[in-house]
Amino acid sequence: MIVLKDVKKVYDERIVLNIPHLVFDLTKRYALIGVNGSGKTTLLRILAGILKPDLGEVTSTSTNNMGYMPQSPYAFRFSVEKNVAIALDKEQVSKDQVLEALKAVGMDHLQHAYGNQLSGGETQRMALARMIVKPRNLLLLDEPTASADIRGTSQIEKALLKYADDNNCTLILSTHSPAQALRLVDEVLFLDEGRVIEQGPAEDVLHHPKHPVIQEFLDHWKI
Amino acid sequence: MDGLIKAINLLFGENPELRQIIAVTLRMSLISTSISSLVGIPLGALIGSREFKGKHWVQRFTNTLMGVPPVVAGLAVFLMLSRSGPLGSLKLLYSVTAMVIAQVVLITPIMTGLTATIISIPAPRIRETAQGVGISTWRQMGLMIYECRSQLVSTVLVGFGRAIAEVGAVQIVGGNVQYKTRVMTTAIMMQTNMGKFHFAISLGIVLLVISFGINALVNYLESRGNA
Repeated sequence: MIVLKDVKKVYDERIVLNIPHLVFDLTKRYALIGVNGSGKTTLLRILAGILKPDLGEVTSTSTNNMGYMPQSPYAFRFSVEKNVAIALDKEQVSKDQVLEALKAVGMDHLQHAYGNQLSGGETQRMALARMIVKPRNLLLLDEPTASADIRGTSQIEKALLKYADDNNCTLILSTHSPAQALRLVDEVLFLDEGRVIEQGPAEDVLHHPKHPVIQEFLDHWKI
Repeated sequence: MDGLIKAINLLFGENPELRQIIAVTLRMSLISTSISSLVGIPLGALIGSREFKGKHWVQRFTNTLMGVPPVVAGLAVFLMLSRSGPLGSLKLLYSVTAMVIAQVVLITPIMTGLTATIISIPAPRIRETAQGVGISTWRQMGLMIYECRSQLVSTVLVGFGRAIAEVGAVQIVGGNVQYKTRVMTTAIMMQTNMGKFHFAISLGIVLLVISFGINALVNYLESRGNA
């Protein structure tokens, strides 16, 4: 369980995150939805321990083996294979394990390509392989399919669901896509101006929103 | 023209002093650049890759040291090593070691400042990615240095270029002693003052060739780094 209490983050006198009380049950999967600047990335960074809140505290149990994938993951100037293997300790490195992770995201054919020569979508798939190359009990993913095309998105989603099922791993991801949230998670937290304005089962929040901001957001997704 | 012909003859002839001067220059520049790289690159990587309180002041201090005039650095080292100075008992004044110390004082801040600037560009993204995977702080720094390797090699070459072309500090602490601490720059200055232009020109040619080689290497490495 992860509990956030009176968490605030301020940039240049602007409150970017303001969460009085929030609990993540680690048996569920969560999506953070909201427009740009709503606080999704800040919340994920705080959960990952990369950013410290200015006020409040975050307490967690059994999240000692977490992974965090930023929105623009870095691709090192060495092979894709090695880019994935850096997530493993030197004595742990197994070529089969790396190849299996690459296969899961449909990147095994690019194992010898250079990381810095990949497209944005390929970099995200490689970064996901880096996350799933070893068992973790919590994955925090910041818009994991933001640069991927339809096929790439589908590969990432399939790989994520299989990994989460196989490893009993909790997912907390941010996304702009309500459809993706419905496919991947149990609960949705809708953020607006740094606050969680609605939280609940994905079906309820996305099909019967109570807050007008969410309705307005969902209207943009109607074809 | 006559001076140039004499200089070329001298360059390809058997002149023990000329060879000795070139050897001392290269030895001094290589040793001082190596020491400065070993100190300046990790220090610069640390400053460029981490966020800490007072980072702005550390950067300002480093930038100030980068611009220290060579004669001032030479004077400081001279006072430290002179007989009545705190390190006078080591009797290092007017030796190649003293010249190396002066050059390390001059070049290390340059290496540190340049490295910090180079590393600070990809550092936030590398740090976020590496922290997300659970990579230790030291390994993160190693990855940053690896990612910037071509620019850092250029930094080392810039340091070497500065070392080999330096004259003020080495003149003060080395004393331009024949067959001992005379280097290309101090020799050129002395020979020009004495009117022996062919000797000065031949040393100038060697310096120019080395500078050209360093520049060519820097350009090549930078183009490879950008590829």
